[in-house]
Amino acid sequence: MTMKRHGHAPILKLRNAAISYETRYGDIEAVRNVSFQVDRAETFGVVGESGCGKSTVAFGIVDFLGPNGKIVGGSIKFQGRELIGRSQEELRKLRGDQISMVYQDPMQALNPSVTIGDQLTEVLTVHRGIAKKEARGKSIRMLERVYMPDPANVMERYPHQISGGQQQRVVIAMALLNNPALLIMDEPTTALDVTVEAVVLDLIEDLKHDFDTAIVYITHDLGVVARVCNRVGVMYAGEMVEVGSVEAIYDAPQHPYTQGLMRCVPKLGSTKESSILYPIRGRVPAPKDRPEGACIFAPRCDYSTDRCHNEKPQLRELSPGHSARCFYSETIDPSTWRPPDGLVPEFASRAGGNGQEPIIRLKDLKTYYEQESRSVLSLVGLGEKLYVKAVDDVSLQVPPGKTLGVVGESGCGKSTLAKTIIGLETPRAGEAQFLGFDITVPVSERDVKLIEELQMVFQNPDSTMNPSYNVGHQIGRPLRRFNVVPSDQVRDEVVRLLRAVRLDASYCDRLPRQLSGGEKQRVGIARAFASRPDLVLCDEPVSALDVSVQAAVLNLLMEIQQEYGTTMMFIAHDLSVVRFFSDYVAVMYLGHIVEIGPAEDIYAPPYQPYTEALLSAVPIPDPTAEQKHIRLHGTVPSALNPPSGCVFHTRCPRRDLLPDGGKICEQDVPPWQHNSDEHRIMCHIPLEELRKMDPVVTSR
Amino acid sequence: MFVRDYMTRHPVMGDPTMSIVEAQGIMAETSVRHLPVVETGKQLVGLVTRQRMRIPPTDLASLNVWEITRFLSNLTLQDVMVKRDAVITIEPDVALEEAAQVMTRHRIGCLPVMDGNTVIGIITEIDMMAQLTDLLGGRTPGIRATVRMPNRKGELAKLIGAIADNGWGIYASGGVQTPKDPSHWDCVIKVRNVPQAELVAVLERIEGQKLIDVRQQH
Amino acid sequence: MAGTEQTMPKTSAQPSGLARLWEGISILFESKIAVVGLLIILFWIFVAIFAPLLTPYTPTEQDYTAQNEAPSARHPLGTDSLGRDIWTRLIYGARVVLVVLPVTETFWLPLGTALWGVLLGLLVGSTLGLMGGYLGGWVDEVVMRLLDAMMAFPVVLLYMIIIAAVGASATNVVLAIAIVGTPGIARLVRSLTLDIRTRDYVRAAEVRGESPWYIMFVEILPNARGPIIVDAMLRVGYAIFAMGTLGFLGLGLPPPSPDWGSMVAKGRQYILSGSPWAALWPSVAIGSLVVGLNLFADGLSEESTRYQ
Repeated sequence: MTMKRHGHAPILKLRNAAISYETRYGDIEAVRNVSFQVDRAETFGVVGESGCGKSTVAFGIVDFLGPNGKIVGGSIKFQGRELIGRSQEELRKLRGDQISMVYQDPMQALNPSVTIGDQLTEVLTVHRGIAKKEARGKSIRMLERVYMPDPANVMERYPHQISGGQQQRVVIAMALLNNPALLIMDEPTTALDVTVEAVVLDLIEDLKHDFDTAIVYITHDLGVVARVCNRVGVMYAGEMVEVGSVEAIYDAPQHPYTQGLMRCVPKLGSTKESSILYPIRGRVPAPKDRPEGACIFAPRCDYSTDRCHNEKPQLRELSPGHSARCFYSETIDPSTWRPPDGLVPEFASRAGGNGQEPIIRLKDLKTYYEQESRSVLSLVGLGEKLYVKAVDDVSLQVPPGKTLGVVGESGCGKSTLAKTIIGLETPRAGEAQFLGFDITVPVSERDVKLIEELQMVFQNPDSTMNPSYNVGHQIGRPLRRFNVVPSDQVRDEVVRLLRAVRLDASYCDRLPRQLSGGEKQRVGIARAFASRPDLVLCDEPVSALDVSVQAAVLNLLMEIQQEYGTTMMFIAHDLSVVRFFSDYVAVMYLGHIVEIGPAEDIYAPPYQPYTEALLSAVPIPDPTAEQKHIRLHGTVPSALNPPSGCVFHTRCPRRDLLPDGGKICEQDVPPWQHNSDEHRIMCHIPLEELRKMDPVVTSR
Repeated sequence: MFVRDYMTRHPVMGDPTMSIVEAQGIMAETSVRHLPVVETGKQLVGLVTRQRMRIPPTDLASLNVWEITRFLSNLTLQDVMVKRDAVITIEPDVALEEAAQVMTRHRIGCLPVMDGNTVIGIITEIDMMAQLTDLLGGRTPGIRATVRMPNRKGELAKLIGAIADNGWGIYASGGVQTPKDPSHWDCVIKVRNVPQAELVAVLERIEGQKLIDVRQQH
Repeated sequence: MAGTEQTMPKTSAQPSGLARLWEGISILFESKIAVVGLLIILFWIFVAIFAPLLTPYTPTEQDYTAQNEAPSARHPLGTDSLGRDIWTRLIYGARVVLVVLPVTETFWLPLGTALWGVLLGLLVGSTLGLMGGYLGGWVDEVVMRLLDAMMAFPVVLLYMIIIAAVGASATNVVLAIAIVGTPGIARLVRSLTLDIRTRDYVRAAEVRGESPWYIMFVEILPNARGPIIVDAMLRVGYAIFAMGTLGFLGLGLPPPSPDWGSMVAKGRQYILSGSPWAALWPSVAIGSLVVGLNLFADGLSEESTRYQ
């Protein structure tokens, strides 16, 4: 490696940094004892669950903490200069010239009323006094550099006219125009779809080498860290508990928390067993509840001893460049770890049910949204009616007691499909039957008996509960409405349901704001299961949760499902989550199901090309895993005017397997090809060709 | 082999109003010997070296100890730096040897690398040394052989041909006129993963050329 | 038990209702302007309730020996042109505004005229806003156009039209305040509803097949209460102002009731003849109460949005 040749001093060096926020309850130390350094052309990942202080660290570096935040101790050195105690004026100059930030939401950094070209050139003309014309040329070159298609055209557009992935690329280009020595990225890909995320992550990796920039990369996603980072710091409850190279951290994590994290992220490995998730018990303590003079992780640690509760461990170097904050790192062997009783439910074999009549059956279901055309004609009712084909020709069936995972990028119609089944949207055409009832009618016209059997778990824990009522009331409402139990027994039933989701009776009287995200989601699950439905739709129930909580909620859902024998449809954007959970998986693209079949078949060849691309885009938390490098370019076309023939043909990376470069894909709707009884693929490429493909992921 | 490939990007820099004391601290902390002085937008206004920060004793001779302290603490980079007009700079696309020539001609230790008036890097003697090392493959284990050949066309081809005929490759090479002998040319090659005896045998067989040094480098 | 979240000991114990109330009050006291506003309002409520104990006179008692007097020991704020004690009239006038609503001579409702007006406006406005925001479609179109039409009228003109049509009485003033306040309230509630209806708990209620009325009033309305309460505070201020205006124009409570607006109207004739007291004090009363309500509402909204 040529970059280390001079023994340069690190670009950024933090030593025992501590940051506090002033609140109404006094100062709260959000972050303490954080030490790490970042070299040129190195990406340092700061990883941790929400509330562990990782963003505070990022903002602390440039003192962007807001009026109530302040750095209370330690040292933060940038290029040898101490940043703590600098005036805002000096820091502002540094931020402009040498340190850039990229946020999760690109619109935070872009001015919606100024063209992208003007925003980019302004960086050069204002700061560096470069002539306008030259600045424009440089900006276009930089846009090319971040792989922006048609940069000259993009320069003329406004931020809202380009997609989220492209916005994020503009923000990165803008950050790089200053040629910063340090780039701080705070969850830059979290809001993006996995296929777009994959492209942006590739870009970040390339840029690091070309610009010799030091990058601090903040994320909660262990998969992303494995893909882009050289070194990693794991944060827990405001402290850095382990620091090391990415290989060392993933291969031999030394802190029990890191080990626990590794066990609770879905792996997308080669076998189904590798996707069992083991949650970490307990939850991250709030800053004011953090144990003093003790190991902060001790209350949740499987190895904790009296010493852990009475003495604070320091960050110790275990091997060169690899440190952990644990007394027993040398003696703990994660390979001998066994889950404590009850951590993971017993999973009964889920054979059987195959011969049974499907509980839900959709045939050629179409749900369109009418779009107001903006022409003058439409004002007088003559305009051509346009339709957003959110769900188009969807056919599927689920046997009772089984789980169907529905996967796809945002805008693929998976949520509309769920809304159609539940009755919040009315299909335009097609058949939909549930338990023999017709469910193409809206929920308001359905029989109470039918409504009772069809319930839903929602995505956002913060809005799934009505903030005005306590938990007991909200779980009790479906019980009362559907007369599940006599009204004098409602309270007992609520307590029983709370127990089923592992919450105790005291939760009855709590208001939603007193609950953590995971707890709210549990209550949401209890509410959905209150009427003992036959089918529960789960719309991304864990995507907003932290990984350790996510695992617990997923296991809980499965356990309840087995107890009640419920059928489930599980909607997710990520193939790694549904794998362990589902018996069947359907992959959707632009309103169509393009591949459907038993879960195991989806993850092995033959793949529909879109499934293959999705699988190869998922960030895998294992730096040694081999993953195919397939990237989709462009964006999902508008469902208002979907491509002719195969809807995926505009982005399909496998078209060249067909004669004429896949001309047929543009002309004809592809046929369903049956790989087995239950596994079918919608593609023009012959099955024999598809079978020849290699598996996307091979782990060593 | 251009300046842009060997320069240090994102050099440590100073502000014109930074005190000498702080600048010295930074230079010690980051072990750099040259500090480009920039204003907003990384616009170059001067350059400070360690020599520049040594105050000539004559400046202090007439001052008492309190005055010296105050004199030093008030001194900022703009008081001691080489001003922009006197700083010799270079562009990133210049060939490395040309940059070296500029440095030797002016007897200076570093060149700020500029894009317009913006500092994008710095190239120093150390970078040149590193380049020299890389040129001859100095950081890679292998056999380093020096062959002396007559100064005429086709001699280098003979050497390369001999190596290639054996299916070997040259990892790095460099040639220079034999010191004090314009009729000959010394060529240094680096060959990897070849037994030394075999290589020596092949090189000694080349007609008209002389193997003057062979050594194993680790 | 293992593997669940509640294994962590809960340090934040379940707060009782009282503790929550105390927390709310303590938030209120963080804001100085809210406290100032509250003190002004409390002062007026206090003097209104205890009016008979705070003065030896009755509001209609006339003393022909003491007309248009300046403040003195006997009459702390002076007297008006009929020799009535201004302080007495002021605090009895406050009763009508804040404490009681005289429906007929003998039948009085608790809560003042201004409060009833705003409450009635809230009831109608919230219902219309909820319907427009939640049901959408043509209901929304019709409701909003109707309210737009009402908002197009100048407020004072609207008051005068209504009172002129139905006659001057306390109940009709309530009606006028309600009608004039409705469009603004409806707009506010509608915009809040548009936001809240996208929440998952509303979706959950729909999935349960709840009726639109249940969703509007049980799921949505309670979550819009914060901004509605703040808005209502301001509206009570406007209502007091409106009452003053109506009284001034002779459209308020029939004389000789102690109405602030008509007191100003009467007193203004004597300003130039050297007795400004009869006009000054009721103006100060209206102003201070409106300012108090505004301060209180401002402080409340500021503090309630600061920590969320």
